[in-house]
Amino acid sequence: MTTIVIDTAAGREEGREALAAAAIASLELDVQLVVVGDEGVITPALQRLAHDAERVRVVHADTPARTIAAGLEITAREADAIFVSAGEPGLIIRESLRSLGRLGSVRRIALAAVYPTVRSHGPKRDPFGLLLDVGATIECTDDHLVAFAAMGAAYSAKISGIERPRVALLANGPSAARAPRRIQAAHDRLAAAALPFDFIGTVRGDQVTLGEADVVVTDGFSGDIVVRTLEGVALTAESLVQKAQERLQWRIAMGMLSEALSRLREFTDWENYGGAPLLGVTRPVIVTQTNSGSRAFVNAIRLGAKMERLGVVDAVEASAAVAAQVPPAEGASA
Amino acid sequence: MSAGDSTSREWMGSGQLLHLRWDLDKTYLRTDFDSVKDLIKTYRQKAEDKVAVVGARALLQALLDPHERRRRRVTFISGSPTQMRGVLTRKLRLDGIEPDVFILKENLRNVLSGRFRSVRGQVGYKLGALLRTHVDAPELSELLFGDDAEQDAFIYSLYADILAGRVDAVQMASILAACKLYRSEVDEVMALHGRAFGSGDAVRRIFIHLEARSPIDRFSPYGARVVPIYNYLQAALVLSESGVMRARDIVAVLEAMSQAGYTPERLANSVQDLVRRGVLEVAGALKLAEELGAVESTRGRTVSTFIRRLRATVADLEHIRRARPEWNTEINYLTLFHEARFRRQKHRFLGIPLLD
Repeated sequence: MTTIVIDTAAGREEGREALAAAAIASLELDVQLVVVGDEGVITPALQRLAHDAERVRVVHADTPARTIAAGLEITAREADAIFVSAGEPGLIIRESLRSLGRLGSVRRIALAAVYPTVRSHGPKRDPFGLLLDVGATIECTDDHLVAFAAMGAAYSAKISGIERPRVALLANGPSAARAPRRIQAAHDRLAAAALPFDFIGTVRGDQVTLGEADVVVTDGFSGDIVVRTLEGVALTAESLVQKAQERLQWRIAMGMLSEALSRLREFTDWENYGGAPLLGVTRPVIVTQTNSGSRAFVNAIRLGAKMERLGVVDAVEASAAVAAQVPPAEGASA
Repeated sequence: MSAGDSTSREWMGSGQLLHLRWDLDKTYLRTDFDSVKDLIKTYRQKAEDKVAVVGARALLQALLDPHERRRRRVTFISGSPTQMRGVLTRKLRLDGIEPDVFILKENLRNVLSGRFRSVRGQVGYKLGALLRTHVDAPELSELLFGDDAEQDAFIYSLYADILAGRVDAVQMASILAACKLYRSEVDEVMALHGRAFGSGDAVRRIFIHLEARSPIDRFSPYGARVVPIYNYLQAALVLSESGVMRARDIVAVLEAMSQAGYTPERLANSVQDLVRRGVLEVAGALKLAEELGAVESTRGRTVSTFIRRLRATVADLEHIRRARPEWNTEINYLTLFHEARFRRQKHRFLGIPLLD
């Protein structure tokens, strides 16, 4: 049975939302939960929630940093364990590398973010694409980008059930000609190699959310900017909708559009997409937003359990091993 | 430490006269009666098809060990109709349990006489049955087993406080008025109250099986006498600490639960839950692990894995010095009744889940 190790020192309302998610998961999912955090806070809070104590084990840790470290140590020890946290991503990445370690075929790990797209993906018509890296590896070589493409494709193939995911590199034009050399090199190598996914070239920033690609690959620096820009746009749109409530005519108009607006909200609400899987470590690790509510945590738990069930880590390792065999591009340098 | 705790080891233990009172549906038997379809299915089920809650049979069998049987009395009080007596008696017999008293509800008579509130209502029926059977055997200490699907914690605590002389006739009358009992029910309960009032603090523990997984906090107003349990291993552990059950009885419950699919992790988590709630001390849990290890039959893989898991799980919380829950001697039954009614109304009319 899958064990979900959940960090309750972070997330909305000082981690109480993470705990609420653990309580929901204990009732609804066939998983074991290890709740890590301040036991003195957890136990009284848990007693106010409907939960199944048979499925919940509490491990005490008194600071957010120790919570992450303890949680990842348990994840490393327990078979079939996954880790979910809304803690500081940098700390999670460092502790993951220390406690779990990298997969044998992976040289750099990647944080992959799920984002909503206009076009749906795969046989299950998932309304989201995958963007990686969004902050684990700030400076990338073409080797790293090729590996990320393979890792992202493996994830997408398993989670969305896409036989041959369409993978693109993020660039500043329809071709890689005006892109930095590392992207040109990665482009040439991916285009030339026979890989278990379809490399479709490059996509610009404005094309990311159209969903032409199932997986968009970039370095951690650019990826972080892209994903935060998308979140910022969603927040700005939400603020504008709120502002529109100030005038009666606009309020009436908004009322007429309420169903469409709520569908739009649903579409752009990142809480629906769980969290960002950390790819390339030996166990599934899901990083959620720092202000995650219980819905985001429950979805992250579901995602982690699905990753474990579908053997995503093994698929990522196998795919990264294939990527490591891709020969360097002629005339290109890392 | 509360008065109840200080005396627990003295009154309990083998050799003591003990009255075990069990609710049937959702406490001893796994029953679904959330819809009319479920009700019909339950009614038509054969004894062989009825299934006990995991661990309940092993726990009750251990409590009714042949060496102790003459000092133990077991009463079942169920809201099931009297027409089911045959099948339910047969089910208990199949499980090796012969109740001394088995009370079922006269639902058909209630329907035919137009007393529809009595069909659904539990307070008048169960309280009356508890008081009546107590008056028959007042010398025994009592352990009560119920669940969170109905009002067992409320009814059992009220019963216990009547015996202890904490709920007088005036309070009783106002509680029964709030419960909207029929006049004849009120008269009967008040007459029994008069006979049982202040006869002694006989109820030692009230175990509430959390069938609906209600939040534990909901039972805190009743104090430490009410122990919400997720499974019967937890009840066995509390009874073991009080000297009623031995290590080998716990092994029997563990094995029954393991055969039903409980993993050592789930069992160890159940112990940790009791430790975190202050019901069991860390030292007590570790002592239990030692005692279980000494029982010959723990050579089986499940129990030995459980012991190992238990040690690891409790070690996570070794720093805990949690005060035991207090025994509450001043329970405001009217407030609790109205809160529970408000919760049920919210559930019925607004669809708000009963689980909060």
